[in-house]
Parts: sequence; structure tokens; C-alpha cells
Amino acid sequence: MGTIIVMTSGKGGVGKTTSSAAFATGLASRGFKTVVIDFDVGLRNLDLVMGCERRVVFDFINVINGEAKLHQALIKDKRVENLHILPTSQTRDKDALTKEGVERVLDELKKEFDYIVCDSPAGIERGALMALYFADHAIIVTNPEVSSVRDSDRILGVLNSKSRRAERGEEPVTQQLLLTRYDPERVEKGEMLKVDDVLEILAIDLLGVIPESQAVLRASNIGMPVILDIQSNAGQAYGDAVGRFLGEEIEHRFTKVEKKGLFSRFLRRSA
Amino acid sequence: MSIFSFFRSAPKPSAVQAKERLQIVMAHERIGRTGPDYLPVLQQELLSVIAKYIDIDQNKVEVKLDRGGDCSTLEVNIELPIPENGSKDAKPSVLKASVSRPANSGKKEPEPAKPSSALVNGGLKKRS
Ligand SMILES: Nc1ncnc2c1ncn2[C@@H]1O[C@H](COP(=O)(O)OP(=O)(O)OP(=O)(O)O)[C@@H](O)[C@H]1O
Ligand SMILES: [Mg+2]
Repeated sequence: MGTIIVMTSGKGGVGKTTSSAAFATGLASRGFKTVVIDFDVGLRNLDLVMGCERRVVFDFINVINGEAKLHQALIKDKRVENLHILPTSQTRDKDALTKEGVERVLDELKKEFDYIVCDSPAGIERGALMALYFADHAIIVTNPEVSSVRDSDRILGVLNSKSRRAERGEEPVTQQLLLTRYDPERVEKGEMLKVDDVLEILAIDLLGVIPESQAVLRASNIGMPVILDIQSNAGQAYGDAVGRFLGEEIEHRFTKVEKKGLFSRFLRRSA
Repeated sequence: MSIFSFFRSAPKPSAVQAKERLQIVMAHERIGRTGPDYLPVLQQELLSVIAKYIDIDQNKVEVKLDRGGDCSTLEVNIELPIPENGSKDAKPSVLKASVSRPANSGKKEPEPAKPSSALVNGGLKKRS
């Protein structure tokens, strides 16, 4: 039976889609049969980040409404074996996500896939609720910034009260923090919240820290999940996070200002 | 570091302020989430009790809420009407009621707020 992971945040634009694409790709690269679903009905974006936008015929909502079969809507990734994408509709709105419909599709996917990654829309309304409702694990995507941290706390509250596990009084949804767009230089200058500050405030486990990186935009420009850019800090950091998710012990990287050579350090001092 | 900044007393780094602000606001928001936030209800009930005895002018009611780091304080100031047979230069009285509630520490899963732990101070004061 497959495991459902939700990538959620409350606040918009913090990196949920980037992280969903990276995570699903990382899990599939390690041999797990993985599907990533776009829950952001009306604002289809995951297809672009995954580079499959020209192959979308049917979508998640078509499947919910019985207008298409699940296997007709699933898009097989061209780069990574075991990876599938379930895009969303651009023309419908979030009301199309009925609890029964979503459950039916997820139940069918669970039979076939090891991991089902749900890319949540921003907010705490219907779309975000449906994305997290059936989750086993939640990855809280947060930027080191006041409004993002506060919204993450709200979404943690929602997970603890409105998820199916909470409603049924089952084992709670596990919650791990993915701190993205982290800039160690600004942290060092006292201009950005530290990893430890955010951890202390949210009081959940740390899954990973993804540095602010130009590789993310570069990767989305060409429709390639950034985790496949193994030269980049961000790609490596996502790879580490996937490893940690699977239970490996991996030290956190890219959280400190990189050590420069003696010469450039001298330049920085006198700047 | 420039020679000038050496003489200035360093202001708190903005990240430190961010953390402090978050800890305070979230401590309060978590109380509201785990149990009903009774302060707004309390405010309405206080006013309705007082209205039973005194004809209060809603425009003369001042309500202040300060969500602080250690506790929040609800302060209700009601200007009481001048008695009809009172002397012309009598000043209006002000009824002040303030309620404080300790904030939680900002950790996960706070205890639900217990109204019984609230401290209620009431008093009649002449406006100076
Ligand atoms: N580590 C990073 N470094 C630099 N830019 C990043 C990083 N992570 C995300 N971004 C950029 O932030 C923007 C928002 O990312 P993304 O679309 O993944 O966020 P989102 O949470 O899915 O947004 P929405 O709430 O609208 O769905 C994108 O332009 C992306 O390229
Ligand atoms: Mg998104």
C-alpha cells in the first residue's frame, strides 16, 4: 500500500511545487514507484516544473468526474523510470475537489504506487485541505521569514485537527520541516531567521535546508526538477532531504557561509 | 565593520526581532486554536452585565487588547453617565475593568487556556 506525502505551507510561493517535483523525482530515482499530483486546481504549474506541459491530455479533475480513466491521465516521466505526474485542471476551480472523488483516486493510486506526493496549493481553504486530508506524512515548506513561519504554524494546526488521521483519532500525520530559500550569508549578518530559530518556534523535526539558489530558476526554465542538477547546492540538498525522509542519517549541508579562500575572505572583510 | 559602527550601540539584528515577534504572536494564536479565545466573549458579557445596571453609551466604551509576551490584558473603560440630579460641574466617572491572561511559552501543544486562572480587576475611578 502506498504512502501519501503532502507538501504544504499555508503561504504561497515558498517552494511547494519546486519541492514536490524534486522530492517525487528523488524517490523515483531511488527505485520507488512514485506519482506526484497537482492539487492547485485552476493554476496548473507542476506540469511546467516537471517539463511535461505539452503532454497533458486529461487531468486529475477529469478522473474525479469520471471523464477519463486514471491511467489515461497519468503522464510517465521521460527522464526517470518509476515516475508519474497527475496534472490538474486549468479551467475548473477547487470546488471540483470532492472528498469522495479525491479519496477514490488516491485509493486507486495507493494500490499501484509506493509514494504519492501531493503538491498543495497555498492557503488553508478547500484545495489545501483536500491535499492534506488523506496524508500520512506532511512536509512543511517554510521560508525563513515571519509570515511564512506563522502560516506554517497555522497549517500544522490544521493537520492536527482537520486531517483524516486527526478526525479518526489515528496516529497523527508526521510533520517535518523543509526550510527553503535559506541564505547563510544573510543569516550570518543577522538579517534572516536561523534554522534553529525556526525549529524552536515550530517545534517539528528538520527534514532539510534548501539554500537560495539560482539553479532553481534555471531548472524550472527548462522543465527539469532541480534535484537532477546534481552540481547545484539546491539539487544536492534535495537529494539529502529525500535520503533523510527514507531514514538515512545525513548531515545538514549548505547552512553555513561557504569557506572562501584566504584572498576572497580578506576582500570580504575589508568590503 | 566600519569605524563609525564601532561607536554606535548596535541595534538588535532584524532576525532577532523577527524571532521575538513570532514567538509572541504565535503563543497567542495557538491559545485561540486549542480552546475558544474567551477574551472577546468576556468583553461582550462584561458589557451586557454592566448594561443591566447602567445605561451605557456604546460610544463611551473603550476596549483595548494588548497581546504581550508574558500575558495579554483586556482593558474595558466605560464612561458612566453623570447622574441627572448631580451638580453641573460633576465629572463623569469611568468604570475600568481589566483582565490579564498569561501567554503560553511558545512551545508546541499549549495547554488550553483556563478561564479560572484569569485575574479580574475591577474598580470605579473618578476621571482626573
Ligand atoms: N531554493 C530556492 N532558491 C531560489 N529560488 C527558489 C527556491 N525555491 C523556490 N524558488 C523560486 O520561488 C518561486 C516559487 O516557487 P514554487 O512555485 O515552487 O512555490 P509554491 O509554494 O509552489 O507557490 P504557490 O503557493 O504559488 O503554489 C519560483 O519562482 C521558484 O523558482
Ligand atoms: Mg505551487
